[in-house]
Amino acid sequence: MEYIVETKNLTKRFGKEQAVSGLEMKIPKGEIYGFLGPNGAGKTTTIRMLLGLMRPTSGSVHIFQKDLRKERIRILNKVGSLVENPSYYPHLTAGENLEALRKIIGVPKTRIKEVLKIVRLEDVANKKVKGFSMGMKQRLGIAASLLNNPELLILDEPTNGLDPSGIIEIRQLIQRLPHDYGMTVIISSHLLSEIDQMATTVGVVSKGKMIFQDSIEEMRKFAKQKVVLKVSDSESAWRALLARGMRADWDEKNITLLNQSDENVATAVKYLVKDGFSIYRVEEEKKSLEDVFLQMTKEERLV
Amino acid sequence: MLPIMSSEWYKLSKSRILWILLVGPMVGLFIGLTANFDNLGGGPNEWYVKLLSMNLTYALLFLPLITGVLASVVCRYEHQEGGWKQLLAMPLTRGKVFISKYILLIALVMVMQLLYLGSIYLVGVIDGIPEPFPLNIVWKSIFGGWVATLPLVALQLWMSILFKSFAAPFAVNVIFTLPTILVVNSERFGPYYPWAQPFSMMYIGGNTEDIFFVPWDQLLIVVGGSFLLFFAGGYLYFQRKAV
Amino acid sequence: MMMRLLRVDFLKIKRKGLWLLTVLGPFGVVALQMVNYGVRKDYLLQQSENDWLYYIEYISNFTHLAIVLGIVILTSFIASIENETNAWKQLIALPVSKLSVYLSKFTVITILLFISSVLLLLFSYSYGLYLDLGEEIPYITLLKYSFFPFLAALPVLALQLWIATVSHNQAIPVTVGVIGVILAYSAFTLPDWMIWKWPSLINGWDKPYINALLGLSVGILLYVIGMFDFKRRDVK
Repeated sequence: MEYIVETKNLTKRFGKEQAVSGLEMKIPKGEIYGFLGPNGAGKTTTIRMLLGLMRPTSGSVHIFQKDLRKERIRILNKVGSLVENPSYYPHLTAGENLEALRKIIGVPKTRIKEVLKIVRLEDVANKKVKGFSMGMKQRLGIAASLLNNPELLILDEPTNGLDPSGIIEIRQLIQRLPHDYGMTVIISSHLLSEIDQMATTVGVVSKGKMIFQDSIEEMRKFAKQKVVLKVSDSESAWRALLARGMRADWDEKNITLLNQSDENVATAVKYLVKDGFSIYRVEEEKKSLEDVFLQMTKEERLV
Repeated sequence: MLPIMSSEWYKLSKSRILWILLVGPMVGLFIGLTANFDNLGGGPNEWYVKLLSMNLTYALLFLPLITGVLASVVCRYEHQEGGWKQLLAMPLTRGKVFISKYILLIALVMVMQLLYLGSIYLVGVIDGIPEPFPLNIVWKSIFGGWVATLPLVALQLWMSILFKSFAAPFAVNVIFTLPTILVVNSERFGPYYPWAQPFSMMYIGGNTEDIFFVPWDQLLIVVGGSFLLFFAGGYLYFQRKAV
Repeated sequence: MMMRLLRVDFLKIKRKGLWLLTVLGPFGVVALQMVNYGVRKDYLLQQSENDWLYYIEYISNFTHLAIVLGIVILTSFIASIENETNAWKQLIALPVSKLSVYLSKFTVITILLFISSVLLLLFSYSYGLYLDLGEEIPYITLLKYSFFPFLAALPVLALQLWIATVSHNQAIPVTVGVIGVILAYSAFTLPDWMIWKWPSLINGWDKPYINALLGLSVGILLYVIGMFDFKRRDVK
């Protein structure tokens, strides 16, 4: 398969500390690649190496099947990025910030208006960025990354500092990009739910190592959520479910269904009602990223 | 090269800090109008006396120090709020970024030199010096002073990229510039100290047969050599800088 | 409260090179004379009747410039430690008065400069002894030329700290500092009321202690003005 981004044995050491070790990242075209991991796992370091901001201690990066070390400029011509906190020149307005970058990449001036419109900053184009809120700076950063019509967009924690409506807006924008412009997108995040809602492919990194890399569907199997039932007289209710041949757990208070498909949950509820138990709550218990990590490492799915 | 240059100029021109360039002629006016160095012995031409006394303070301390400040100014907006990582993730080589900042800097120094030239003329007019303005000598001094700062600017650019704060590169600058006061008194060491070159090359009392008041070999070895050293040092450091 | 702030401020300047500069300043000033006397000792000793005074005068030619530039560097450093990390807002939000925040910064630099002056005394005394400049050591003059420039430079300190703390852009205080050192270098031709002249200990009456006294009093005045202006301003 041809990958837009492919790293081989990518490694970065800071003194003794191994920030990234032997990372093999493979991103097919047109995917939204969710790069998931807790803070300090090596996500930003990896992204910095993808952009040539840092030299790998060892290993290689290929983007568009070109060696980053040899053809950095040609690669970066078609890459847009936002690394960590948004970068900006405080003494310039939003429009001027983009103009300073536009002069380098040489796209037409009208592109500035376009990208400001995409991130909905056109009303504040003439305001100095130092007075912007965190969310506005973040959106300006995204606008800057879109300026050169990139084929690969790398966004490091793009929803950082955004308010809920801003998060939804950016999410919708990112989801549109592969379809509308044929872009491949990398988004990093430490939030499982965020990646879950946007990504089509997922790479999970922990302590500098890639511990999982596959489609989002495969990922969801690890992140399986439990369905918890709160009922009256839970112990007898649990026994009643077992008697009808359903698989369930009981922990003194709640019943947990092991098969949480919609039909199975519906059947369980039907049985309980029939057997005369009162059902107070049917809840989904979300798994934290840590639980998923634990499960991934436990099952030794090391990639 | 042109796109990044125009972007660099754009960023700088939008900040009001360019007013710093006016400090050059202001200092020139101040020294020219207050200093009284009749004992310097510049000959009968009053312009020479003026030039000797003005250039002394200007080239000895002011020029090396202010060029360092300018170097920090053109790096300041990259150090703030992650400018470097945005700039270096652009499709251009780091070499081009370094060179364009350097060219911008030496252009600013040239502008300041020309403003200083204006201030010399103004001082003469205010003092009512009767002789004609000795442009054939003054331009050598102005241009020579500029050439002599080329290596110093390279070092300060290096330091300004290395350090985020203004004070640190300035401290380096001060450490090398202050000894100049002593060094220029020495015929043995003066010619070899890079920070003494702005003074030597603006010192109109020097050998007027040499094109810049200093011998060619001194110009090439000391100014050229230190330029190569500092420019290459900064250039290579910038290539490897992790941002 | 003040002690705690001071301790915090001293903690913040750790590993920033400020201590190094504090030592390097006086060392550099004396080291220049080491070079000077190392190269042409015989000539220099011929030049004067009183070798000690002549030597002290040579050192003091650089002291006032080093002290003015040192002040520019230290004040800009201490302001940028807060500026770079956006720590002003964190610091000012603590239950301390803005006045004591400012006083603490001023005190830190004053202490550093005082240490510099003590070191200047030690370095110039020891190198003077090494040079064997004569039996009669002018202790009083040595003391005067080590500590009076520090006192006489307090107005410059107050002014630079004020500009450095209220400027967003450290190019401004540093450029003011460059102008200051040009003025200090031209001390000879400056009128007596200019504060940049004072560290050179030159004045119309030929009495160095006048500069020290002027420095102390005007320094305090400028410090108070700067402090109240700092208090008045909104935190960035």
